[in-house]
Amino acid sequence: MAEIKLNNLTKRWGDFVGVDDQSLHIKDREFLVLLGPSGCGKTTTMRMIAGLEDPTAGEIWIGDRMVNDDLPKDRDVAMVFQNYGLYPHMTIFENIAYPLRVRGVDKSEVKPRVEKAAEQVELTQFLDRKPKALSGGQRQRVALARAIVRTPKVFLMDEPLSNLDAKLRVTMRAELKHLSRELQITTVYVTHDQIEAMTLADRVAVMKHGVIQQLGTPDEIYNDPANLFVAGFIGSPAMNLINGSVRNGMFVTTGGTQLVKLDAADRAKAILGVRADDMQVHDAGQGDIDVTIYAFENTGESTLLTVQWGKQRVIARGDRHLRKDQDEVVGISLDPDHLYLFDPETEDRIRI
Amino acid sequence: MTGRQRKQFWRAVHAALILVAMFVMLVPIVWIFLAAFKTHVDVYQLKLFFTPTLENFGIVFDDPYRLGQKLFNSTIVALVTVVIAIPIATLAAYSFSRFSMRGETMMLVIILATQFVPAVVIILPFFVMFRDIGLLDTRVGLILVNLAIVMPFAIWMIKGFIDGIPMDTEEAAMVDGSSRLQVIRNIVLPMAAPGLLTSGIFCFIIAWNEFLFALILTNKEAVTLPIGLALFKGEEGDLWNLLSAAGIIIMAPMFVLALMIRKYFVQGMTMGAVR
Repeated sequence: MAEIKLNNLTKRWGDFVGVDDQSLHIKDREFLVLLGPSGCGKTTTMRMIAGLEDPTAGEIWIGDRMVNDDLPKDRDVAMVFQNYGLYPHMTIFENIAYPLRVRGVDKSEVKPRVEKAAEQVELTQFLDRKPKALSGGQRQRVALARAIVRTPKVFLMDEPLSNLDAKLRVTMRAELKHLSRELQITTVYVTHDQIEAMTLADRVAVMKHGVIQQLGTPDEIYNDPANLFVAGFIGSPAMNLINGSVRNGMFVTTGGTQLVKLDAADRAKAILGVRADDMQVHDAGQGDIDVTIYAFENTGESTLLTVQWGKQRVIARGDRHLRKDQDEVVGISLDPDHLYLFDPETEDRIRI
Repeated sequence: MTGRQRKQFWRAVHAALILVAMFVMLVPIVWIFLAAFKTHVDVYQLKLFFTPTLENFGIVFDDPYRLGQKLFNSTIVALVTVVIAIPIATLAAYSFSRFSMRGETMMLVIILATQFVPAVVIILPFFVMFRDIGLLDTRVGLILVNLAIVMPFAIWMIKGFIDGIPMDTEEAAMVDGSSRLQVIRNIVLPMAAPGLLTSGIFCFIIAWNEFLFALILTNKEAVTLPIGLALFKGEEGDLWNLLSAAGIIIMAPMFVLALMIRKYFVQGMTMGAVR
């Protein structure tokens, strides 16, 4: 068990910057998720921690040791890969036992430890099979068992659930969370799926273009996004971002509709952010503004109304019993306590 | 023609074309098979039915032909070539596949380009060099030449197989605690084994059939089977029955090997050589 410190870490390939001078302190036993779209540098960051990629500049510390020049095998980390990275010519038992065997663990000790790891991921009955004979979810469990068989200092997980189908992903997510609480080992988890990030993480680092945009608890990044990118990336459906301006304490849309009272200084250009859940749907004439329904979707647990708002479309979440139809007019009101204002030029949050 | 008749017609054309191709390819081999069991008298007649004899096989191993020694030379040269070529080619192919080096593409192209040089062009320098260092008419000399011939081929082919091993698997092994050599031994070699076997057999076939270099660089001690065939051109004309018997001895191991690697043949061709 150990903390991880990244000091001014940079990775460049020629002119391309993968990770740009980033520092990050991951606490002992913390579950940290690196979240971002593809190409944001999250996987590169993890691969540098694992030793599979050499940093261009900066330091990597695991515990009290700088590991920059250590080979992957000497860093005492375990990694779960997106494509599982199993050894197809070995049985499941041999796969799980490999980290022990190659490190020269005593033979009498290997068997009980492999069996215990297999039990933790419910694989006991498959130990004699080859990976080819297992399903995707089972293969991912083998990869997990191989990682936990050896109590490493750090777990690294590179999009471990993204190759599974949607239903299995939810089950495996819960299993992962359970396992990580049980094992209490510092974990770095890479994903582009914000739900995985929200549900699994102690803290989330949202990345874009090799730069950490915001580091915080899932609560913080959801309810208090630092900038336009984080606001738009977290949440499903994504936060509505409405172009307009602030005039005399009111937010006015680009189309000229006075929308909502805002305690902010006047500015010619601003973006108002509001989540679908922070909008109420009323009958026509009863909300802050009347809008036409562009599309009505019933997801079962709630309803989603895409409404035409001047030239922009906005998504509001309605009650699950609400029934409306396309082209109907409804009233919408915004929750004044959960509005976010952004500067469209710098993309920074304007605190209100 | 109805649709069904048309279908039958094309199926017949299909079958006919295959038969023609088979005929063209197999007739010489069938001829040799028949001739090998014919007596000197029968051999010039295209008889399909005759009393078969095994005496040809006896004669070719006796004086003055002594095919046994040539068989021994061929076996040693081909086997040693493979045993040396495959491990070296594997390491080279692994490096080409997994490490990026300055001028890597250039090196690969140059290695491949050596295959385009006609053997006749470089045979004279080989002869002169071998004469100077005393390698003429030795098995060691032939092994060296064969290595030069099969290595580029083996490197390209094995590289194709190693390229097919997912990087994830190797990286997992490294994080799990393996050194680079352990990764190669525990992960890459077992996973590439079918490819290595196929490449080995291909190399064996090339070395076994090599003719031109053996013809120029040997004359007595290190003569191989393909050169041995020339012995049967005597003063009394071509001894076709003996020639055919020797031909079968040359071909037999090839047939066995071809059967063994049937499964990997296409894979080997497409993975290694073509890609």
